[in-house]
Amino acid sequence: MPSKQALLHAKSTPSRRSADNFDRATSWPVSRIPIEQSRRILFTIALAVTVLVTACRSTPRPESNTPQTVRRGGELTASIRTEPASFNRHAARDTSTNLVSNLTQAMLVRVNQVTQAVEPALAESWQASDDRRRFTMALRRDVVFSDGQPFTADDVVFSFDAAYDEKSGSQLSDTLMVLGKPLQAAAVDPHTVTITFPERFAPGLRILDALPILPRHRLEPALKAGTLRKAWGLDTPLAEIAGLGPFVLNQYEPGQRIVFVRNPHYFVKAPDGTALPYLDRLVVEIIPDQTAEMLRLESGQLDMMTSQISPEAYAPIKRAADQGRVKLYDLGVSRNADGMWFNLKPGAFAGDPRAAWLQRDELRRAISMAVDRKLFADTVFFGAGVPVFGAETPANKQWYWSGQPQTPHDPAGAKGLLATIGLSDRNGDGMLEDATGQPARFTLITQKGRPNLERGAAVIRDELKKIGLAVDVVALDFSALVDRFVVKAQYDAIYFNADKSDLDPGTNPDFWFSSGSAHPWNLAQKTPATEWERRIDELMAKQIASPDEGERKRLYNDVQQIFSEHQPIIYFVAPRIYAASSSRVINVTPSEARPQLLWRPDTVAVVH
Amino acid sequence: MTRYLARRLAFALFLVVAVSSASFVLARLAPGDFVTESLGSQASRQAIERERARFGLDKSIAAQYRAWLAAAVRLDFGRSMQYDRPVSDLIPERAANTAILALAALLLATAVGLPLGIVTGSRPGGVIPSTIRSASLVLLSMPPLLTSLLLVFIAARTGWLPIAGMRSASVPAAGAALDLLHHLVLPAAAIALPLAAMMERLQAQAMTEVVGEPFVRAALARGVPRSRVIWRGALKAALRPVAGVFGLVIGTLFSGSFAVEVITAWPGLGNLMLQALRARDIYLVAGCAGAGAIFLAFGTMVSDLALAAVDPRASETRSDEGSAP
Repeated sequence: MPSKQALLHAKSTPSRRSADNFDRATSWPVSRIPIEQSRRILFTIALAVTVLVTACRSTPRPESNTPQTVRRGGELTASIRTEPASFNRHAARDTSTNLVSNLTQAMLVRVNQVTQAVEPALAESWQASDDRRRFTMALRRDVVFSDGQPFTADDVVFSFDAAYDEKSGSQLSDTLMVLGKPLQAAAVDPHTVTITFPERFAPGLRILDALPILPRHRLEPALKAGTLRKAWGLDTPLAEIAGLGPFVLNQYEPGQRIVFVRNPHYFVKAPDGTALPYLDRLVVEIIPDQTAEMLRLESGQLDMMTSQISPEAYAPIKRAADQGRVKLYDLGVSRNADGMWFNLKPGAFAGDPRAAWLQRDELRRAISMAVDRKLFADTVFFGAGVPVFGAETPANKQWYWSGQPQTPHDPAGAKGLLATIGLSDRNGDGMLEDATGQPARFTLITQKGRPNLERGAAVIRDELKKIGLAVDVVALDFSALVDRFVVKAQYDAIYFNADKSDLDPGTNPDFWFSSGSAHPWNLAQKTPATEWERRIDELMAKQIASPDEGERKRLYNDVQQIFSEHQPIIYFVAPRIYAASSSRVINVTPSEARPQLLWRPDTVAVVH
Repeated sequence: MTRYLARRLAFALFLVVAVSSASFVLARLAPGDFVTESLGSQASRQAIERERARFGLDKSIAAQYRAWLAAAVRLDFGRSMQYDRPVSDLIPERAANTAILALAALLLATAVGLPLGIVTGSRPGGVIPSTIRSASLVLLSMPPLLTSLLLVFIAARTGWLPIAGMRSASVPAAGAALDLLHHLVLPAAAIALPLAAMMERLQAQAMTEVVGEPFVRAALARGVPRSRVIWRGALKAALRPVAGVFGLVIGTLFSGSFAVEVITAWPGLGNLMLQALRARDIYLVAGCAGAGAIFLAFGTMVSDLALAAVDPRASETRSDEGSAP
């Protein structure tokens, strides 16, 4: 980053561009004014701007201490960073498309993101068969789509067909598979469906939280033509889009905003009988930059950000919250922590002398010991983070293993461990070499443009340097990183997020099973590459099938213990999650899961 | 003149093809693609390969480029992978928004920069010229990104102006045009202020030189009022340097507005290009770059015409060039 003086100097350097006039212009500025004078002028202007801003500062709106009554009506303005790719959840999996789907569509069941319980939605009740593979679900009666057409069991069957249709290639198909096989949905009568799982699946109906129930009468022709993914694109007339969710699309201005209005036919009512949603209108502004997003929030031009607050943005939002201009929500520790993993694919380092130590458990354990997690939390998350040592963070209250060993910060111990795999300082330069005298050096890839990851990778590099390991950090664009990681599998180590999609481990088989496509350290193995992965496969297979929650917990503790012993992913710190809204937003049920303040949009209200 | 214009148009066409082709190839050559970007790290290799085949990304760069170029000749610039819409539909609606912003910024910069440059150029001493000159120096040293952040900050603190967007969600009683103007102030000022500073410096330099010319001194010596000499006689002679860069400024407004559009959420080409680059949507990247090249080519032509208007020698030279064998 060039300094101000450097910038001024750059401006003052005569340019050799073709037009003479350019030379004159660029050679003008600074040379005519003595440095002292220009400093005085800069100071005066800075002072004037400060005075102006302070004088014009809008009066904070103090937050009322009196309880605010939730009333129907009003408009809320929220923001997203990127435009949705589509209005069709089957076509895209980005967060904006997902938000639109959550606002306009409904599911058979919902996972309560606070209690983690599976709650009725379009299905008002269900019964499981003895083997818990088949669920008979009673659908709500008198439910109609936003266009007035009745909702029936045929719409449910159609929605499953849409998800699994190969020609359409839905983005939801992977999420709705159980051990690689689809669920079977059948209509018993217009208000009853049966859902049959291919195997015993302990998480059960949770996965149906991902499936929006779509209007068959609108989309069946597209499904039959194999063009479902092209349906409901951004150029679709909004009147053609119908749903069962709390809102309907009312207006879309490309690059600017999406406006939703209340769905008059929405089926959910508040406990006092008030028809939900509370809001009349929900305006979602597209604001690519978080700084602008925050300034709008602080100034009252925005009610809510749909994304969490970044660590850098915490301090100004906290100040605004202290002044009563915004509400700050501390949502607790994140469910996911960024982690570091090595390429453990057998033969990945064939012909490379580093193969003798790069894939060893001792190396990963030494790294875990070498990194000071408190320093990590202070540097990367400005203190708002908790140390993490295993696959689950303390946020996952149900499945977190309380016996998780806490790796101590012990650089000397780490060096001792590295010595056992032949890494020691052989030439006295303070850095380690392997048995052949080659430097102990590897490349750590991370994602460019994500400050948390870039700062984290820098901390890892600096901490490992202290024990003599040389790390070259390379920040890549997201797509380039995915290409290197998933497609080419050409990397030494990665520091990235290996998120799990749901808190129940049974819904993350792709992460846990050695054959899984999201098993980061060695993707999609035909047979388990190591004995401990084979053991995890066995335990997880039992864990997913067991109907006994206590047994599931014990089995998953065993999985976490194996994970902890081998540390295929080294976790350091899980950040605390914060979200913010304007003071007029009420009746929010915040959750750590995205969208933190809008996962239950029908109950959100504003003071009006 | 006709041959000259034809040559300029041919050059403009070449510029558009070269810029969009280079963008297409570079975006395609970079590691990763739209599929890895959109499916993310949890997608299976098979899913990635399937999607790549769906978008034709499994073909070689040469084959893809040939197909794209052949379609572009028929004015089919491909289909945006991200939006699943023809690029030719997406670009015009955003280009119009950028044009509104650029035109407003240009008018504002001209209206502010030129008169101030005349004032500072014709009166080298005094408090007012010194203050203007100092303000110009500060603004020149601030990139539009910083200017827009500062303005957004002031707008947020005062609440006088909308911080982002182009229109309100509900059209206010004052009408859509006034609403647009209200939203336009901040981004236009963010682009216009550094531009106005540059124009002020250019105009001041030119004016200082012209004021020292014998014809100006003679007029003043004959007792013609100073203001009349400056604003009528000297001004036309001093306009040449500004007119020379005017067109280039129009062209660079596109790139200058890039950061401002992102900060102020102005739904223009810059914002669209950023999204296209993030998504690695190669057809849209090429389309946006091509549209930017059209801006630049248009600006260069305007520059030449403006220069000819204020300095007939320029058009004579160009005509001579045009008639050369």
